Amino acid sequence: MLKILDHLEEWLIASLMGGATLIIFVAVIHRYAAGWPIPYVQDWMLSLNLSWAQEACIYMFVWMAKFGAAYGVRTGIHVGVDVLVNQLSDRIRKRVVLFSLLAGAFFTGIVAAFGTNFVWLLAHTDTTSPDMELPMWIVYLAIPLGSGLMCFRFLQVAWTFWRTGELPQHDPTHVEGVDQPVIPDMSADNLHPHEVAGKGGGR
Amino acid sequence: MNSAIIFGLLIALMITGMPISIALGLTVLTFVFTMTQVPIESVALKLFTGIEKFEIMAIPFFILAGNFLTHGGVAKRMINFATSVIGHLHGGLALAGIVACAMFALVCGSSVATVVAIGSILLPEMVKHGYPMRFGAAVITVAGSLGILMLPSIPKVIYAVATGTSIGALFVAGLLPGILLTMMLCTTTWWIARKRDYPRMTRSTWKERGKAFADSVWGLMLVVIIIGGIYSGIFTATEAAAMAAMYAFFVSVFVYKAMPLKDTGKVLLQSANMSAMLLYIITNAALFSFILTNENIPHALADWILAKDLGWVGFLLLANLLLLVAGNFMEPSSIILIMAPILYPAAIALGINPVHLGILIDVNMEVGLCHPPVGLNLYVASGISRLGITELTKAVLPWLGVMLVFLVIVTYWPWLTLVLPRAMGMMPPG
Repeated sequence: MLKILDHLEEWLIASLMGGATLIIFVAVIHRYAAGWPIPYVQDWMLSLNLSWAQEACIYMFVWMAKFGAAYGVRTGIHVGVDVLVNQLSDRIRKRVVLFSLLAGAFFTGIVAAFGTNFVWLLAHTDTTSPDMELPMWIVYLAIPLGSGLMCFRFLQVAWTFWRTGELPQHDPTHVEGVDQPVIPDMSADNLHPHEVAGKGGGR
Repeated sequence: MNSAIIFGLLIALMITGMPISIALGLTVLTFVFTMTQVPIESVALKLFTGIEKFEIMAIPFFILAGNFLTHGGVAKRMINFATSVIGHLHGGLALAGIVACAMFALVCGSSVATVVAIGSILLPEMVKHGYPMRFGAAVITVAGSLGILMLPSIPKVIYAVATGTSIGALFVAGLLPGILLTMMLCTTTWWIARKRDYPRMTRSTWKERGKAFADSVWGLMLVVIIIGGIYSGIFTATEAAAMAAMYAFFVSVFVYKAMPLKDTGKVLLQSANMSAMLLYIITNAALFSFILTNENIPHALADWILAKDLGWVGFLLLANLLLLVAGNFMEPSSIILIMAPILYPAAIALGINPVHLGILIDVNMEVGLCHPPVGLNLYVASGISRLGITELTKAVLPWLGVMLVFLVIVTYWPWLTLVLPRAMGMMPPG
């Protein structure tokens, strides 16, 4: 069940990213191609109306951002100032990290609640978006859904951390498709966040 | 008083290590619920509409373009070309690395991507030719930071969005400083390499140079697309970024055939992950600066600074110190989002050009990227070279010194940044 959610999330944000790029690309090409005096093709080009592309791109990226932020919690890409926390003893550090994870869940939970309320109010009006004339409440549905998912991800990460002491870590040094010697031993200095359980870094 | 509470709370939340975006959001929520009369609805609305600007959407597109480029064999051809031109000098491969970083920076908006793209190809090559790893890794760490200075750059887009400055002017303004920094880094490297007698490559013929240039021309065409497109008004910065992403995809997959088509999904997911993180910080920072503006804090701070009678020389010194210190704790986008709205009003009141301020902030961010504890370039270079952070930090020091000298030049010689955008008519002459 969770696996399906994970895949759905990844699939959604990747296709929104690709889709938005394609739409803008096509819209720009169209804007200039419609000026070429090729018989029939030009008429056909002019009959297409792509003025909604910009708006579609914005909304797609808003959705991508909200769900991607939730995915980011799972991959550990949301970074903070962890220099000081990593100097603490393991026991205290564990509490501080738990606190910050729960603070994340708290904030996203509140935003999800606000969002639900906001969308509820909007759904009772007939506001639509200027170009595509989509009902705005559908557009803004990204906020309660994305933020709710993010809250869930924070709780999930906090739970795993509490039980195993492991945090998801985004490793910027690892790049797909590039020949790299070996993943370095990042625990050899005290500048990187380290796991509480296990070997516990190099201090 | 209010400003002390807001910043105190923000700092207290940040040192617990929670994500900066969450710390910003919680600060605003706490403040709104306890201290002000701002209706909660207007805050909520801001949270939803914070990133609904087409200009901001340039960020995901530039990230995507950068990711396609690092996979795409563009870097390799740029290195070949640079080596053919200056490889025969002392420390030739290292010099070629710097020039290749500068070329890559012309088309890529991220420092980390530049370090990865150039470093992962060049470093093994340098070791093979008898350079010590620490020398090569240090050069690439610093030269990679050109990524956010030359032409397109993600921090510049963020600054432009935060302050309403022209993106096109900021892109172009970084070009001359970028060339100056490239020359300064090359001179230092050449001098060190000559003293230690590092190997030289054989001199290439003009025919070989021509061929290497022709090979790399597909990648360099991106400069024409991005800058030419924005400058001539064919498309906006965001559209240029989207075109760049499509073009980079096309070149990587079909021209250089360095990336298999089936990896596209993975690259899209990675880019989405990175973009969403940045957009999330931007949303919450927009909220934060809304509260600051609502409490009139930036203007109060500006008045306070003006009352100190520092003049622009003193103010810029102070701004630099503040940004350098911030660079020890946070990554560039967060610093810019928090600091730019605060520094901007005071800078304008002192007659400092917004584009100049933007480039100055950008150079400060470059310095922060090259030293611990949060310098991402350093970590990436350490990842590629398998050197410890401490060792690499020591190795980077001479070039970091050069960067600081460069920072002083950029700070007190506005002409360098402003002449090009003015000449191109991207900003009013002043």
